Amino acid sequence: MTDSAVFHEMPASNPHASDTPIRFSFSGTGSEYFRIWIVNLLFSILTLGIYSAWAKVRRTRYFYGSTSVAGTSFEYHGNPIAILKGRIMAFLLIIIYNIAIEMSLGVSLLMLVVVMAATPWLIWKSLQFKLYNTSYRGIRFGFRGALKQIYWVYLALPILTLFSLYILVPFTHQRIKKFQHQESRFGTSHFSFSGRVGSFYKAYLLVFVIWLAGIIVISATLGGSLFAIITADNLDREAVAAASATGVFLFFGALYVWMFLIFPIFATLIQNLIWNHTQLEKHRFLSEMKWTRIMCTLGLFLPFAQIRAVKYRIECMSLLPDGSLENFIAATQQQVSATGEGVADLLDFDLSL
Amino acid sequence: MSIPALYFDGKTSRAHHVTLSVEGGQATISGDAERSCPLDELRVSERARNTKRKVTFPDEAYLEITDTAAFDALLADTGHHDSFIVRMQQSWRGALTAVVATLVVLVLSYLYVLPLASEGIAKMLPEKVERSIGKGMLDFLDKQIFAPSQLPQARQQALIEQFKHLQPPRGDVPTYRILFRKSKIGPNAFALPSGEIIITDELVHLMKNDEQIMGVLAHELGHLHERHLMRRVVQSSAVAALATVVFGDASAIVANIPTILLDMKYSRDAEREADDYAIAMMKTNRIDLVHMADGFEQLQAATKDSTPPPYLSSHPSTDERIDHILKSR
Repeated sequence: MTDSAVFHEMPASNPHASDTPIRFSFSGTGSEYFRIWIVNLLFSILTLGIYSAWAKVRRTRYFYGSTSVAGTSFEYHGNPIAILKGRIMAFLLIIIYNIAIEMSLGVSLLMLVVVMAATPWLIWKSLQFKLYNTSYRGIRFGFRGALKQIYWVYLALPILTLFSLYILVPFTHQRIKKFQHQESRFGTSHFSFSGRVGSFYKAYLLVFVIWLAGIIVISATLGGSLFAIITADNLDREAVAAASATGVFLFFGALYVWMFLIFPIFATLIQNLIWNHTQLEKHRFLSEMKWTRIMCTLGLFLPFAQIRAVKYRIECMSLLPDGSLENFIAATQQQVSATGEGVADLLDFDLSL
Repeated sequence: MSIPALYFDGKTSRAHHVTLSVEGGQATISGDAERSCPLDELRVSERARNTKRKVTFPDEAYLEITDTAAFDALLADTGHHDSFIVRMQQSWRGALTAVVATLVVLVLSYLYVLPLASEGIAKMLPEKVERSIGKGMLDFLDKQIFAPSQLPQARQQALIEQFKHLQPPRGDVPTYRILFRKSKIGPNAFALPSGEIIITDELVHLMKNDEQIMGVLAHELGHLHERHLMRRVVQSSAVAALATVVFGDASAIVANIPTILLDMKYSRDAEREADDYAIAMMKTNRIDLVHMADGFEQLQAATKDSTPPPYLSSHPSTDERIDHILKSR
């Protein structure tokens, strides 16, 4: 157990013992996660989804319990009943929303406005639920945030971004991350975030250039042959139809695959950018992800690959402690309602890292 | 037996080095911190292969234990058992059972439970609900692909009257309205959830006699009678929900691809049911099924361009349908 070794080298009696990075470690394995996943999936289906709340708690506990830094692991405290309530509410909301859409244009527009107005609040509640139910060394995390900020970051900025023809996307991304990290706390200690807007623009631009280059290559090779098939006049019509259908399929298939390939590059750049600019009081973080590695863990739909990706993501992170990790103090806070968490989960938002 | 552990009191992040021992229904820690607590007030985290175990006190203070083998032995002594689910998760036999059981449940629900349930739900809902769903659809179609019919009014009326006089094969006739339209999509006919049966001028011209047209109209009436639209709505949402539960954990993009394919089977089943309804209606009214079969054949000849492979198709193959019609004679 190298983790506990690291821990023991950092005695509490010497508060300024070390400034060397302490790596995060992840001990979960694909095969074990697969077993947990399939058993819980079976019971979720058999209970018409009711058990899924318990399954979620069990899976999250496994992830958190497998993640450790400086010799101790994280813990998840989410209450399945709270999550179930959130999921039932989300389910009802989706049904109401779908009925409203069928009814009339007026009602569906109204419904759209209501959903848009409620989303930032739901995200907020969901962040609070998630952080409040995470602990490390017996100290719970937490999330503050003010209603005004929530609506600025999650409603006003995205709308502005839309009208700016997406030129503001990196700016909005930076503001969202800044908000998320600055409002997070560990016990009574606050996180801070120093990532600049310029760095986000740089990351986005780089990914955009790589993406565009790929598109040009795909269009030049597959698009060209497609054009050749269509314009060839010595083939009979049915053969042309079949060949061009194959061509179109290949062309869009290649574009789709390219999108999958480009995403890890983006995720890598952003994760490094975010965590290298995050601090918990004086303690800093270090993220050294390489996109070539994460490319190898494609096929995220398999629990095995998913675990490998998570393991890689976590183990690229280090904590750069400034003195002892023993002096954090717990805060008191009321229970956070789980509704936000449930809805966000069902709609498949990813609110993590 | 005593085991080394780290104790966190839940108030500060300080790690206390302690040893844990159990005696007479009481767990006791000693070392940097001292405390004891009855066993039944403690909560033990679930066993997982490479994960440290946690023992949580009622006030959220907890112990983290690295030596899991020793801890397992201690737990066994206290009479603690892993839950059924944990045991299943931790054995390959349990996991394999879960894989097989999940597959069986999924296939059975897809083939039998879901169609039955959606039929039940669709027939339970009053007709009015279904009618209200597609209200805006006709307006949309009129704007996009239809022009007013150029068939003489008298001809339209004659066809409507003729169909009205046919006996329905079973049950009540659902409320319906036959509409004629000239279209950009060639010979076609379909039923809208709002109860309209639309038949294009091109189809009327294509059919060689009125019996053939009656066959087509009967097929569309079959869709309305069997509540196919409502059933499809229920089925697709159930399939989508299931796919989210199964794959949602992984990726939303992957989750939506199979649902489209899975939905196609339900569509083909609905077409077969509508054919059966039309066959029954023709028989009830002593119209030779040859007309219906011929009608299908003409339609196939007129629209012959591309036929996707069977599993990708929303309709059964025309040959199969014609075969079925003629066999029912």
